[in-house]
Parts: sequence; structure tokens; C-alpha cells
Amino acid sequence: MNRSHHADKATGVGDPQCFKGEAGPAKFKAGDRVRVKDLPDIFYTRTMQYCRNVVCEVVIATHESPAAEDEAWDNCDNPEWFYIVRFKQQDLWPEYPDTYSNDTLQTELSERWLELV
Amino acid sequence: MSIHNKLKPSKDAPYPDTFDHKRWRECMKNPHDVGGELDVPMQYEEKEEEQWELNTYVICECLAWRGIWNAEERRRRQNVDFGNSNYLALPYYGRWLITAARIIVDKQLVTLTELVNKQEEVRKRYE
Amino acid sequence: MAEKHNHDHNHAPMVEEISDFEVLEIAVRELCIEKGLFTIDDHRQFTEYAHNIGPLPAARLVAKAWLDPEFKKLALEDGVKASLEVGIDWITSPPTDFGTPSDYCDLRILEDTATTKHVVVCTLCSCYPRPILGHSPEWYRTPNYRRRIVRWPRDVLSEFGVNLPEGVNVRVEDSNQKCRFMVMPMRPEGTEGWTEEQLTEIVTRDCMLGVALPHPDRKHNAKRPIHKAINPVHGH
Repeated sequence: MNRSHHADKATGVGDPQCFKGEAGPAKFKAGDRVRVKDLPDIFYTRTMQYCRNVVCEVVIATHESPAAEDEAWDNCDNPEWFYIVRFKQQDLWPEYPDTYSNDTLQTELSERWLELV
Repeated sequence: MSIHNKLKPSKDAPYPDTFDHKRWRECMKNPHDVGGELDVPMQYEEKEEEQWELNTYVICECLAWRGIWNAEERRRRQNVDFGNSNYLALPYYGRWLITAARIIVDKQLVTLTELVNKQEEVRKRYE
Repeated sequence: MAEKHNHDHNHAPMVEEISDFEVLEIAVRELCIEKGLFTIDDHRQFTEYAHNIGPLPAARLVAKAWLDPEFKKLALEDGVKASLEVGIDWITSPPTDFGTPSDYCDLRILEDTATTKHVVVCTLCSCYPRPILGHSPEWYRTPNYRRRIVRWPRDVLSEFGVNLPEGVNVRVEDSNQKCRFMVMPMRPEGTEGWTEEQLTEIVTRDCMLGVALPHPDRKHNAKRPIHKAINPVHGH
């Protein structure tokens, strides 16, 4: 069992900094309107069910990293870009009141979970 | 009359043909994915940390520091693999601790026999 | 449960009870050390690090940003770089020299404005910017907070005593990946001419999570019940 592979890569560099440059060009950019895909979430995901199939706006590309679904089994060979995305609360929750129609929610999703609309 | 005529249909493990997509989704939903679930106001508290809880946090971080696992593996095991019942039934750091015990056994760094023997040995110190 | 702590000390001391968790923790720690998974010194070093983190550096970062527009700009663009100026190196402050395994190295600071109030949660677990803010409070880790704050943020904020004036929108940040977040609240009225030190004192942990607003008269988080430990952390 190679226990030093992460330390070798990240010492003095940091995580997720250690994955910089490995994902290629980011597919999305700030301002893009995207939908959260409803991919199978068998065994593990960090994409909450409350945001599946909901349209949101890309705020910023944050960093490159293995997707959580891969990193959770130490499969770190295929990093992808991560993005902070912003939702209108009224698009997430059916009962969210009109009075507060400008309320928003932000979260971070990896590229595989998003598609342009 | 045979007793079998009086027994109601079983509410045991379901037949697969009765298990629709909605039920599949309910079962597959990761236990940690609680955002937006219904809940009621609760008194929020601070908690004094137990020594074992701090030690557990440090064990988990040291195991990642020294490459036995990474934090995402820990989260997957600790917050999803437990299954919904244990996820909700166990104390927060109880899950961290059991997960740390599980990883060293799963990765064959320790045998279950060794873990059981060690627990017995520790308990005997307090008799 | 805590009965043994009420025993009369004039009697012969009772046998020390030990919980299943304590037995398992000792067993796991000793086995890890015996098998060379980590050393006793690793455990001590990381424990020391865990003891030394707290919310003060984050509070100073906010105070600095309130006083210096250039620093504020840096803080909002690069939280990790800004952290250096309050003595926190996300990469090499932790003994690993690659960041803490659970908190990573990508801090983002959320600026409250006249029209936007931020609040932070990790709905999936309890991800928290430990290196600059210390350890998370118990309530932050509860399924209850994680369920409700994303969907009924104004109700939950109201329970925390935060009632927002008209025209202020709420933005919930669900920190579910490697980024870590803290809130830079707005500088309150009544602090004109204050020094960085004075301002630091009123930026509490709860302010930086978004569940409290800073106030010139408040130097502490709102009082709430403290669940006592049976064998609390000692030696520090």
C-alpha cells in the first residue's frame, strides 16, 4: 500500500492546489446558465438531491480536484473542474415565499454534474 | 383449519416487483443528504468535548496525514456507508471512531481478531 | 449516566467506569501506533495543532478588512493569501505541510452587503474552516441545522435572533466540497474610530458563520446551553 502518494504530491503545495493543471480547460465560466444533472447516486455523491434538475448560474470556477465520487475510493487520476453555482431559493423549494424572491443559495458542484441550458 | 389461512401477508423483505423507481430512489438516497428535509425548531447547544472525541478526531486526521486514507474516503464511510438507521442513531464522533476502526480492519492493517483482543485488554485495565 | 460523578468523595473511590467509545478509541489509537500507521508523536503534534486553532485569526481578518479597503479586496479575491496576514498558512500551519486532511486549502470569504446576508452550512456533514476559525459548534453539526437552514433560512436566523430589515436578501452557502467559507459581516454602526483590536473583539465566531450580526456591545457568542462531557478534554 503506497501511503505517501498524496504527501508526495501535495507537501508544500496544498490540496486542491496539487491537482492544478490536470483537468484541462474548464467547460463552464462565470455567468453560464446550467442545469444540475440527476445522475445515479448509488453508493456516494456530494451533489445534494435538493438541487437535481434545477437550473442555476455559474458564479466561479474554483479549482481542479478529483470528483468526490472518485476521491472517496482514492481514484485520483481524473480531476475535473469544480464550480460555485447559485440558485434562486424559489427554484429549489416549492413553498419559498414570493416576499423573498431574491433569496439565493450557493453550493459547489463538479463539472460532471452540470450541463449548459 | 391450518394456521396458514389466518396469517396476514408478510411485511418482511419486499418482493422486487413491488419495488418501484420511487422506492429505489428513497433507498439509494445517501444518508448524509439531509438538506431540505422537514424538521422542527430545536434548542441549539454547545457541547463540551470528551477527551476520546478529541483523540478520535486526531486519529482520523493522522490516518489521512500518513496516507492510510483521505478525508473523502473517511466521509463516504462515516456519513454514507453506515446506512440511514445507524447514521441517525449514533453520536457524531461515535461514527468517526467506528469508521477509523473499520478502515484499519478493511485495509488489513489490523485483523478483527487483533481489534477484539485489544478492546478486551483495554477493558481489563479498568476492572 | 453521569451518576458516578455525584458520588460522595468520603467513600472509597468507585472503580472508574469506561464507555464503549473510550475503550474503542484507546484500542484503535494503540493499534495504529503499534502497527506503525502513525506515531505517538504524530498524534501529539496534531493534538497540539487542534488545541491551538480558534476564531481569533478570522476575527482579525475581518477587522483588518473593515479598516483597509486594499486588504478587503485581497480577502475577497484570495482567502488563502489573506489568511497569511493573520498568521494562518493553510498549507504549512498544519503539521502535515499539505494542509489539514479535512479542511484543505481553499478558503473563500463571503462579503455581506447592504442587500445580501450570508449564512454558512455543510448539509452533508460539518465541513468548517478550522485552520482560521477553530472547531465547529455542536449545533452546526446537527442534522437539524443542516436540514433547515438551506430551506427555511430566515426562520432559523430568526431563532438565532437575526431578523433582517426589508431589502436584505439571504444567501445560504452550502459548503459541500473542498472550498471552506467564512462570512465577512458588515461593520456595525457605533464603531467609528475603533482600532483593529477593538473591532476584532466584536467579530464573534457566530458572526463569521452568519448566524449573528456584530454589535459594539457584544464580544461573545449568544449564550446557549452547554452539554457537559463525562471525561472532558484535559491538559490544556
